[in-house]
Amino acid sequence: MDVEELKKRIEEALGGLVKGIEEGKGFIDVIVDLDNIVEAASRLKELGFDHVKSLTVIDYPKENRFRVIYHASSYLDEELAKYIVGIGADVPRDNPRMPTLVYVWRGVEFQEREVYEFFGIEFTGHPDMRPLLLVPQLAEAKPLRKEFIVKEEPIIRVKPPTG
Amino acid sequence: MDVVKLILDIIFYPPIYQLLLIGLVGSLVVVIFILWFERKATARVQRRLGPYHVAPRVAGFPQLVADLVRYAFQEVIIPRTVDAGIFILAPIVATILSILPIAVVPLTSNPGYWPVPMDYSVLVALAISTVSPIFLILAGWASNNKFSIIGGVREAFVITAYELIAILSILAASATVLSFNFVDVVEAQSRIWFIILNPLAFLAAFLAVLMATSGFPFEIPESENEVVAGPFTEYSGLLYGLNMGAAYMKRFALSILMALAFLGGWAPYTPGEGILSGYLIPSIIVIAKATVLMMAFSFTRSVYGRFRLDQALDGAWRLVFPMAILGFGLALLEAYLGVV
Amino acid sequence: MSVWVYGEQKSDLKIEGAIARRIAEDLYEVFIGPQHPGSGHMRIIIRVDGDIIVDADPDMGYVHRTMEKLSEGREWIKNIPLFERMAIHDACNVTVSYVIALERILGIEPPPRARYLRTLLCEINRIAAHLYGFGIFGVFMGHSTMYMWSFADREVMVELAEKLTGARLTHSYPIPGGARRDLPQDFPDQARKAVRYFRRRLEEYRKIFLDNPVMRSRMEGVGVIPKKVAAELGVVGPVARASGIKYDARLAEPYDAYDEVEFEVPVFEEGDALARAWVKFEEIKQSLRIIEQAVDWLEKHQREAPMHPKFWERSPPLWKKVFEAEGRVKLLPLMANLKLPPGKAMARSETARGEIVYYVESDGKTTPYRVRIVSPSARNAIVFKYIVPGYRVMDLPTIYGSIDYFPPEADR
Repeated sequence: MDVEELKKRIEEALGGLVKGIEEGKGFIDVIVDLDNIVEAASRLKELGFDHVKSLTVIDYPKENRFRVIYHASSYLDEELAKYIVGIGADVPRDNPRMPTLVYVWRGVEFQEREVYEFFGIEFTGHPDMRPLLLVPQLAEAKPLRKEFIVKEEPIIRVKPPTG
Repeated sequence: MDVVKLILDIIFYPPIYQLLLIGLVGSLVVVIFILWFERKATARVQRRLGPYHVAPRVAGFPQLVADLVRYAFQEVIIPRTVDAGIFILAPIVATILSILPIAVVPLTSNPGYWPVPMDYSVLVALAISTVSPIFLILAGWASNNKFSIIGGVREAFVITAYELIAILSILAASATVLSFNFVDVVEAQSRIWFIILNPLAFLAAFLAVLMATSGFPFEIPESENEVVAGPFTEYSGLLYGLNMGAAYMKRFALSILMALAFLGGWAPYTPGEGILSGYLIPSIIVIAKATVLMMAFSFTRSVYGRFRLDQALDGAWRLVFPMAILGFGLALLEAYLGVV
Repeated sequence: MSVWVYGEQKSDLKIEGAIARRIAEDLYEVFIGPQHPGSGHMRIIIRVDGDIIVDADPDMGYVHRTMEKLSEGREWIKNIPLFERMAIHDACNVTVSYVIALERILGIEPPPRARYLRTLLCEINRIAAHLYGFGIFGVFMGHSTMYMWSFADREVMVELAEKLTGARLTHSYPIPGGARRDLPQDFPDQARKAVRYFRRRLEEYRKIFLDNPVMRSRMEGVGVIPKKVAAELGVVGPVARASGIKYDARLAEPYDAYDEVEFEVPVFEEGDALARAWVKFEEIKQSLRIIEQAVDWLEKHQREAPMHPKFWERSPPLWKKVFEAEGRVKLLPLMANLKLPPGKAMARSETARGEIVYYVESDGKTTPYRVRIVSPSARNAIVFKYIVPGYRVMDLPTIYGSIDYFPPEADR
């Protein structure tokens, strides 16, 4: 099975839900509407993509959106295990809310909590929506958004005392 | 000469000699030696050096003395939330009670050097040895700490299971001679030791003492990775040292009981008259045998890991307890047949 | 915080190990960690009913460093030493997929010699990391000999790595387009000696630890993850392979020289702590095989710069001179201001604890636009929540040690 064939299979399985397929190096992203993401993810899971490798969120402040992608792959199907397929949607930046996929892939539970604290995207229906790694005060700053700038401490060179 | 004799008489006045000299000083020296041996032996198995830097010429032996001094001078922190009276008293009482059995056992067959009348000495010694765990549980309860309470409960579980076995199997020795007198028990072994006559009881006693005194890696009540230090979590300084030492001292006391009951006490030697041959030499023989037993205990450390609590209890009730019962039956059978 | 009632699971995910029971009123809440010798830099809040854990809530993040954010402010090449800090004893495995992702965006492939060198270091790291895991596992269950042995023997592998890269732990060895250094002359002999030594030692490990009746009784049937649940939870690495999932990033998407060397991926069916220990044990054996093959290949083939020609041709003459004399490739000056074309790439590699995934997006600058890292321990952390309940308090260290959870790696 090559990439083209995989794309065809995904398109067949997802039907009209697919808005577009973007090909990256080493993965495929299937973009759907935000409202359809649960349905699309369920169909992708039925196809054999049984776990999520990475819940990737990229911030595009200029376009006022977050791109949320669930990069899934397969454990039980060795043929599918060679590919990473992402199912993603654009979440508006001013209303960061999307349905949770915990009930599709149980493994994303902690990763969704991570995204919640780092980007402030709220997953409706998540059983346990708390910050995972950060303390609540830090999580409010939403550190992975682009407007959060890390102030690096400068290297201070002190002249050795003369004499 | 009178002064020397007076001093000797005071030192070798049996209660003082056995409680202070053997019980306190002797057990401290033995515990230090055993800790050193344990660390050196495991280090040997684990391909490292063990204690070394304090006096390399004697293989780091004073290291433990240094540790003891450190414990003694550390600040004792008593948290505000603990029940201070019991918190301080419990380890002290537990330590004293751990070495008390030594004061009621005979270390010679010479009646002039018995600390107490010996008619029921087996029962008395065993009875005293069972009191100290209560204070460890109290220490856990008084600490007002979750880990301490879990540790205390575990201690209670383990002690209930294994003390009983230890008592039962040491009593097997007295059943063989149909007497509660420790001197009778030891004298009966002048020809053949009970370890050979009744290996079942000895094995049960060995396992029970190993588990009941909770030395590494059988320290289920205070296993570091689950309950930090069990009942001793809140302790520091000398009180912590006492807690740790109490377990080893208890092991030493029980080892003396086992040496008397199974390893023939002062067996190859027949105590005579006078302090030297009537008291000092037989007591040193007993202590040496107890020390050998303790060395055997500490060697298990490098081979085995820790049992789970339920596995330990399961093993106690299903394997070691029947073994002790069988040992007791064997003892009665031997008494009936008159083997001894 | 809501109490999770295991009698009434909220999803259809049935966990077979857990004993379904309603949580009693008088629950005891115990905080395992972070200042606790039985947890790493993490906290597990457990609720116990008697001796049975009914609820476990892993609380991570004590060693969190926001690597994803820090990487956005650094040049591409400077991120390699940063990401290494996740698991310093597994440095090559952790960073190699980041480097591969960069190479995918650049559209280059490292020369075969560099690929073999990376594979060699990856396997050395894998053994060292597995031994580290074994040591922690052993001491968690009170087996101090295993702890001492594996930490002492890890030294052999650390020294091999030092010989190869010049650093004991944070090697920063793979760089985009190749590797940082070539093999020293006497390396092959030393490596073969180490392999022979390990073959002998592994047998002793088996005797004292894996076949030790006490340790077996502690590990058998503890922390069982059935195959379906393992796939559902998305666990990785030895944890997944012990549950019967034949998945290894080295097989699924062979990187470096893994499609040219011969090795097997050990898979066990039982899914308990013992199976996980055995997977790691067998993996060490396979890594030894790979080391042998890699060393043989490197010895047989002629030395060339372990650097992609695109970079190597543009390097200053001094660099070439250093390479001729010492077999060492200094970091090329052009790397410092390396600009990647816009694009996005994903790469995965198999670290000792499981698969690590990098998502790298570039917008044509000298720093990344976004790097997403999902480390194996981060994915395995969910085991604490779903597998631990139902087992006894004393099983917690066993499960913790057997999944080889490493907080700095999980927190990133």
